[in-house]
Amino acid sequence: MSASLVKRLFASLLTALLASLLVFLLMRSVPGDVVSQMMGQAGGDTAENALRQFFGLDQPVYMQYFNWLLQVLQGDLGTSWTRGVPVTEMVGKAFLVTLEIGVITLLVATLVGVPLGIIAAINEGKPLDTLIQSFNILGLSAPVFWTGLMLLVGVSSVLSWSPPLRFVPPSQSLSTNLEILVLPILSLGLLQAAAYSQFVRQNVVSAMHQEYVRTAIAKGVPVRLVFFKHILRNVLIPIVTFMGLILIQILGGVVIIESLFALPGLGRLLLSAIETRDYPVVQGALLIVVATAMVVNLAVDLTYRMIDPRVRES
Amino acid sequence: MNQSTIRSAPGLLVDSARRMVRREPGLALGLAILAAIVAVALFPQLFTSASPFDIDVASSMLPPSADHWFGTDDVGRDIYARVIFGTRITLSICAGSLFLSAIAGGTLGLVSGFFGGWTDQVLGRFVDVLLSFPPIILGIIITGILGPQTINLILALSIVYMPVFFRIARAGAMSEIGKTYVEAARSMGINEPTILRRHVTRNVMPLILTQYMILFPLILQIQAALGFLGLGVQPPTPDWGAILEQGKDFILFAPWMSLFPGLAVLLASLSLMLVGRALQKRVDSR
Repeated sequence: MSASLVKRLFASLLTALLASLLVFLLMRSVPGDVVSQMMGQAGGDTAENALRQFFGLDQPVYMQYFNWLLQVLQGDLGTSWTRGVPVTEMVGKAFLVTLEIGVITLLVATLVGVPLGIIAAINEGKPLDTLIQSFNILGLSAPVFWTGLMLLVGVSSVLSWSPPLRFVPPSQSLSTNLEILVLPILSLGLLQAAAYSQFVRQNVVSAMHQEYVRTAIAKGVPVRLVFFKHILRNVLIPIVTFMGLILIQILGGVVIIESLFALPGLGRLLLSAIETRDYPVVQGALLIVVATAMVVNLAVDLTYRMIDPRVRES
Repeated sequence: MNQSTIRSAPGLLVDSARRMVRREPGLALGLAILAAIVAVALFPQLFTSASPFDIDVASSMLPPSADHWFGTDDVGRDIYARVIFGTRITLSICAGSLFLSAIAGGTLGLVSGFFGGWTDQVLGRFVDVLLSFPPIILGIIITGILGPQTINLILALSIVYMPVFFRIARAGAMSEIGKTYVEAARSMGINEPTILRRHVTRNVMPLILTQYMILFPLILQIQAALGFLGLGVQPPTPDWGAILEQGKDFILFAPWMSLFPGLAVLLASLSLMLVGRALQKRVDSR
């Protein structure tokens, strides 16, 4: 591992730390906590104070943060204030659901978006290019949850089919699991495929106009060979970088899609925890989101070094 | 002078419009839709005589018809009127928030890039923290924790893309400092803040404006998503996201409640995207 990579790793950790502090302070800056929500009108002062003491909310904010951090360093995200279950367990379960949706969506987006982008670029300026570009821009303009809603209406009225309502993990029944996930993945995948296709088209088109491509063709190198050896190889780096960006986009989009299709993923967990002011769960869920985004960015960086020798040397 | 070469002003306008349709059909389409949307936002009462607030339970959840073009919602309000009157609310929240983030992010970025050193380190770290969350999640955290009020929504929306403006302005300022005109100004004894304000800022401005147009459709989508999650503008205010949020519970019985406000978001995003792309092409080719 090179020195620059170690430096980046440290910078990432510092950023994650500051991000968690930001969320911590934000949550404690607003009136109303989990205790006042639990007790409602019924609670007396003594009962409320006892509960606050139990949750550690009576301590100064910096002590609360310090204690939380100490726990996290030991791999413990605490216990949910509303459900009494370990946060690590809740977040872990939810993360698996989100991860499954995310990875399959990325696969769909790549398999659809990259070929579309290449086809559009090869046919630059022709009707097929215009058609694909129109798909891209429409896909990018449609709100992802709206696409989901319309797909739901579409399949239920045309195919008279609607997805099963209760979520089933793939370990229990893979087919039911996929049946549940097909619409969420389609609605997210369509948007990301459009983004991917547009990006790939742009890069391939600009590579096609490079001097070295013209030279190769003038030398009599077969067009097919020029395409694979010269164009695609140079476009690979931005395509990989973009994959990371798309994965982070998907991570955000999943939150909305999960709440629409009632999927027990990180997004829904986060939303319900914010609503009930279950601070440890909010904090834990966000830590995983931020960590995932960081790991993705780091992975992109590493792949980058593998594909492009220039980066390694510099 | 030849009679045919003299054209009236409207004639010239038509000519240049024709030329644009031929050369840049995407931009022409985008501008046309955008003009229509702006007209609706400015003068909603010209497009409908119905009220977006009038409740009429007897005619609830009616499908689209001659009386109610977009149908009615669960309490019998006219969806068409709600979408029309929602245009101004939705667009002004987005435009205003994005303006705030351009000002804040742009200023901080310019300062950071121009002065460098500690200022740059601290501001850069802060922006990295904001960037560590996917944009929509940042929006959810802020509106979710602070509470679903319009003021919090505006705050959230102006923070979400602030880092993007910061980075653009910072990179712009850094590339400007090396240029000869800055050196010339320095050797003339002009002080640093004045150079930043008078010279560098002016040259970075086009980049920020282009970014504004590029981000506008994205902020619109986030605004709609937050509204849909119930974290945005609250009903009965006719905001596009809020209308969508109301429709989601009735999606299989009254899909028109969701179809039309979503189409409005789509059309607005589409037009802004087309205009933004054309603008970027021009800036890039300069």
